[in-house]
Amino acid sequence: MSSEVFARSPMLRTVLLKTVRDQRRALTWWSVGLIGTAAMYASFYPSVRDNAETMNRFIQSMPEWMRTSFLSASGDYTSPAGYLHTEMFSFFAPLLLMVFAIGAGARAIAGEEERRTLDILLSTPVSRRRVATDKFLALTAGTLALSAVLWVSIAAVGAPFDLTPNLVKLGAAVASAFLLALAFGSIALAVGCATGRRGLAIGVTSAIAGVSYLVDVLVPSVASLSWLQTLSPFHFYADNEPITNGLDPLHALVLLAIAAAGLGVSLWSFERRDLAA
Amino acid sequence: MVADVIVAERLSKWYGKQRGVIELDFAVHPGEVFGYLGTNGAGKTTTIRLLLDLIRPTRGRATVLGMDARRDAVEIHRRVGYLPGEFALYENLTGAEYLAYLAALRGNVDERYARTLAERFDLDLSMRIASLSHGNKQKVGLIQAFMHRPELLVLAEPTQGLDPLMQQEFYRLIAECREDGRTVFLSSHVMPEVERVCDRVGIIRDGRLVAVEDIGELKAKEIRTIDLHFAGPVPPVAFAGLPGVRDVQAEGDRVRCTVVGHVDALVKAAARFEVIDLRSHEPTLEEIFLAFYGKGETDVE
Repeated sequence: MSSEVFARSPMLRTVLLKTVRDQRRALTWWSVGLIGTAAMYASFYPSVRDNAETMNRFIQSMPEWMRTSFLSASGDYTSPAGYLHTEMFSFFAPLLLMVFAIGAGARAIAGEEERRTLDILLSTPVSRRRVATDKFLALTAGTLALSAVLWVSIAAVGAPFDLTPNLVKLGAAVASAFLLALAFGSIALAVGCATGRRGLAIGVTSAIAGVSYLVDVLVPSVASLSWLQTLSPFHFYADNEPITNGLDPLHALVLLAIAAAGLGVSLWSFERRDLAA
Repeated sequence: MVADVIVAERLSKWYGKQRGVIELDFAVHPGEVFGYLGTNGAGKTTTIRLLLDLIRPTRGRATVLGMDARRDAVEIHRRVGYLPGEFALYENLTGAEYLAYLAALRGNVDERYARTLAERFDLDLSMRIASLSHGNKQKVGLIQAFMHRPELLVLAEPTQGLDPLMQQEFYRLIAECREDGRTVFLSSHVMPEVERVCDRVGIIRDGRLVAVEDIGELKAKEIRTIDLHFAGPVPPVAFAGLPGVRDVQAEGDRVRCTVVGHVDALVKAAARFEVIDLRSHEPTLEEIFLAFYGKGETDVE
């Protein structure tokens, strides 16, 4: 061992950096998955575009609610934006980002508590508020990094297949997915902070996400219930179709507010709670 | 007079209807090694976690280093070293990385001292924590508690998992703390350990503090068990009601009793008969405790 007793790792200076450091391996694999998914969808695009007529006829045969739920409002499935909206941003991209964020949020406090590493961490002169805030920031950073990978990978692997959306609007769609994932990650953090139970945090948050998704998809077909849709985060995620229309500031703000509320509940509940032995 | 390092005032903790600790009142003086003794489930862990603000009292309060355990937790943590009874380390880090992380969060760590501690405990800091034995993980836990030379050490079952040689090293470390005038609060269910390193001891049973005793005074209580063997049968009444003599069991030519303090009265009573043998058993601290506190009585001497 050298004369320095401690390893000089800059990534071990704060709870935030340590948590980001712990995500390294997971982020690598998630990135591989995202790039692979983007490449797969991009490689299908030329055949979809070349069979536009068949495709559009198939789409017209779909029930009304399916069309409004999954398809671009313009009904243009075969343009790069329409294709990406339907294939990537209606389900797969937000799902991947959300699974990552919910896992990270649930693990943040409840995971440390269940593994019994939290006692010593909190016996240092770092407040509970600081620890929970750092965990939230690390969750934000990880989700942001994955979102960036998503944006770059679609831009990079799309080009050879003529899948060339407007990159700014693609950015808007990715940003919207990021905010949606952050909102649910923050809810998972809050449940973990309030209960100290990682599995419960994942379960409760996934249930909320599942119901929200179904509400957003199914409610538009029932006119009298359309107000229900505004209760679903998914409504604020993609109903405005950011990849065609850019980011709706109000919708983005609603998602940010959910994330902020999750952080608020996290700090409030964690500060007050007895920690499990 | 320097203020007490730990003060518990009617400190109580209930987990719903389940008892944690009930109305603890005690003070730990500066520079002393205070042993906190009790069986598993008696309330040792609850007390310690209340002092560290990991759980919050149902009633009463605790003061640590003159500060409120609840309100001033962060400042208290800066000046306290803590070893939990059950803990886990970050398995993916090496010992050095783990200590570097905690040192960065503390910001007041003398790294050379931490290295010295690792050498004294014969611990290889370059190993991944996942590959360390239970005893070696315990050493990492001890080092993180001592490495910032805290004014107060709160240690739960500090020697568990350590081999005898390392236990000696730990006792030396405690002795050094005492010399430096630092204060140690250590919980244990191992009596000889408490007897060896502590100045005073508090005994907790079923959530209540049943006694706080000076170890020296406790030993000076001189409880002993005495066996007498006579040449012939003796009447038990001859030994009843003697000062300091308890639990007289007479059977034929043999008498066994417990004596607190001087044995004079017993010897003089025995002298009236022909004594073949007299044996006195030095009790361990454990037996003293059982004699005083063992039968469910909660009155304190």
